[in-house]
Amino acid sequence: MSESCGNPNVESEAVMPRKAKFDKGKTCVKCKENPGNLVIRHAVYCKDCFGPLISSRFRHALEPHINATPSGPRRVALKPTGDLLVGFSGGLGSTVLLDLVHHSYLLKVVANVSKGGKAHPRNNERVWKNVRACYVEIADAFPGMKDRIEDVRAAVGRYDGVEFVPVRIQDAFDPTWWEKVSGKPAPPLGLDIDLSDEDVRISSSNSDSTPISALHSYLRKLPTPTAVHSTISTLIRILLLYTAHATTSSHLVQGTSLTSLSINLISSISQGGGFVVPQVTQEEWFPRTSPAPTESATARRSVRVIRPLRDIGMKECAAWAWWNQLPIAGKQKVPVSRQTIDDLTKDFIVGLEKDFPSTVSTIAKTVAKLAPKGDAGDRCVMCELPTQRSAQEWKARIAIRSFTAPDPSTTLSPATSLSPLLCYSCHTTLTSRSSRGAIPAQTGMPVAGPPSPLVPLPAWTVAHLAAPADTLEPHGCSPSDSTREGEQHGEVWEAKKLSVDDLRTLVGDFMLDDDS
Amino acid sequence: MTDSQVLNLKVEFGGGLELLFDKKRSHRVALPSPPSSPPDAAKKTPADINFLIHWLKDNLLRERAELFIENGTVRPGILVLVNDTDWELEGEGEYVLQEGDEIVFISTLHGG
Ligand SMILES: [Zn+2]
Ligand SMILES: [Zn+2]
Repeated sequence: MSESCGNPNVESEAVMPRKAKFDKGKTCVKCKENPGNLVIRHAVYCKDCFGPLISSRFRHALEPHINATPSGPRRVALKPTGDLLVGFSGGLGSTVLLDLVHHSYLLKVVANVSKGGKAHPRNNERVWKNVRACYVEIADAFPGMKDRIEDVRAAVGRYDGVEFVPVRIQDAFDPTWWEKVSGKPAPPLGLDIDLSDEDVRISSSNSDSTPISALHSYLRKLPTPTAVHSTISTLIRILLLYTAHATTSSHLVQGTSLTSLSINLISSISQGGGFVVPQVTQEEWFPRTSPAPTESATARRSVRVIRPLRDIGMKECAAWAWWNQLPIAGKQKVPVSRQTIDDLTKDFIVGLEKDFPSTVSTIAKTVAKLAPKGDAGDRCVMCELPTQRSAQEWKARIAIRSFTAPDPSTTLSPATSLSPLLCYSCHTTLTSRSSRGAIPAQTGMPVAGPPSPLVPLPAWTVAHLAAPADTLEPHGCSPSDSTREGEQHGEVWEAKKLSVDDLRTLVGDFMLDDDS
Repeated sequence: MTDSQVLNLKVEFGGGLELLFDKKRSHRVALPSPPSSPPDAAKKTPADINFLIHWLKDNLLRERAELFIENGTVRPGILVLVNDTDWELEGEGEYVLQEGDEIVFISTLHGG
């Protein structure tokens, strides 16, 4: 009925003609019997068929990536090399994800155990030895935001067999946290960067600020609301990755739905992250520190980051949560202007999805196929994503302009810049000012002390800068790759290596001076 | 069948939308008949979901209407169920409400 007589008002407003929301009849396309309950990208499903559909899409996106080497179409036993960490924000996506993980990998084992009796715990059928849910509380970053660790603990507590791992956003600036997750001593002193110029100069820090005050001064100095938004995401990302590493997790799963994935892809590209488009969908991450010679090979293990809801839209997540009566604790929202790139992208994609649901799926699938051009250089010292080698060369040239001459002796200049070690995206986040000026006052960031362009660096960046250059990158590319590329781009490679060495020397000098 | 006739409905909010409606998930609503159009007062305007959305905004919504309503309908990203069925299968806002209907509004905007 609604197909034949559309609403003329809507049709005259829309640029594209509105299509019926479903293709065929109102009967479920799967069982072809029951009346449909939900329209998913033009296909109609009944409630009975919806559940198995979502579970199978979830498993299909996750299971081929559980074993260290992809199993291909042939079904083999699932044997991950470590535990599972669920990134849990309290939001709709991660709530559904945790429910699906529990439903698919924990509930069935529990059932088996009770069926087999206490004497036969059939634990050999269990895919993951341990499942943990990590929540990063951002409340302390913003005045007046409610701390919800206990709410989230209760939400996670609904699931037997899931251990709750709370982390706080200020841990990013806490050397103690760094020592705990990396198993390495933190450098005795922090480092500051100067956000007032493009070089992002590094100096040793002379303040002994607490992690919270370091976080506040960092966020306060960021040039735009978009930068605050993407910085919070980057800090959460690294906190989750090192928590995964510290909990011997081989896999980190996140509740990014198809809708969120499209938003993240578009938003990332518009903020200069085009080179890491593949990593937005899936990533193989290695801790950027190399194991000490005494450590076993397991210390070199990687964390595979997977988004098992990437074929499941926000709408299906909402229906799953509603029909399974899952309480949604809610995700903390970064309280900056609604005009950040992330927010605008979200409004655009969610609006598009309402009238053209297949288009959003097409965005995710098309963008996910993009293969960035150019070799990967070292990973960014801030977000630990690959950087584009050519972009680094370009930045290195920019940085060299501050030296007086291309003479080897000048590379020992004490003016050390963070810029060449950042990816394009992080560099933009730290230095790109909006034409409308800095962060508006309503962000409520506490302002204290005299204005200074110096801000402290996160604990991992400090550690990476202090680490000897030759152990910085054990995995980004295999040793043979490095050698080959080093030969091919001899000059460039040498230049970069020198600068990292210089940095090490420089940082070491600072520490000795300040220590004594 | 008079003008004072009301429809008794069960209206529920999920996914965080309940925070805008007195923090209550479930509401019993006695929906009055919509006003008749002036030129043809004898002709009754049926109470459809669009009418319910506006009535909820004027009578139950406590804060931040822009998170619920946009361009005369629910904001994009809100899933509406009519008796457990996606409203897209029922004509969306033009679905004519029946006595005892259960209407659910679920926000999908609470992130990953
Ligand atoms: Zn069916
Ligand atoms: Zn970066």
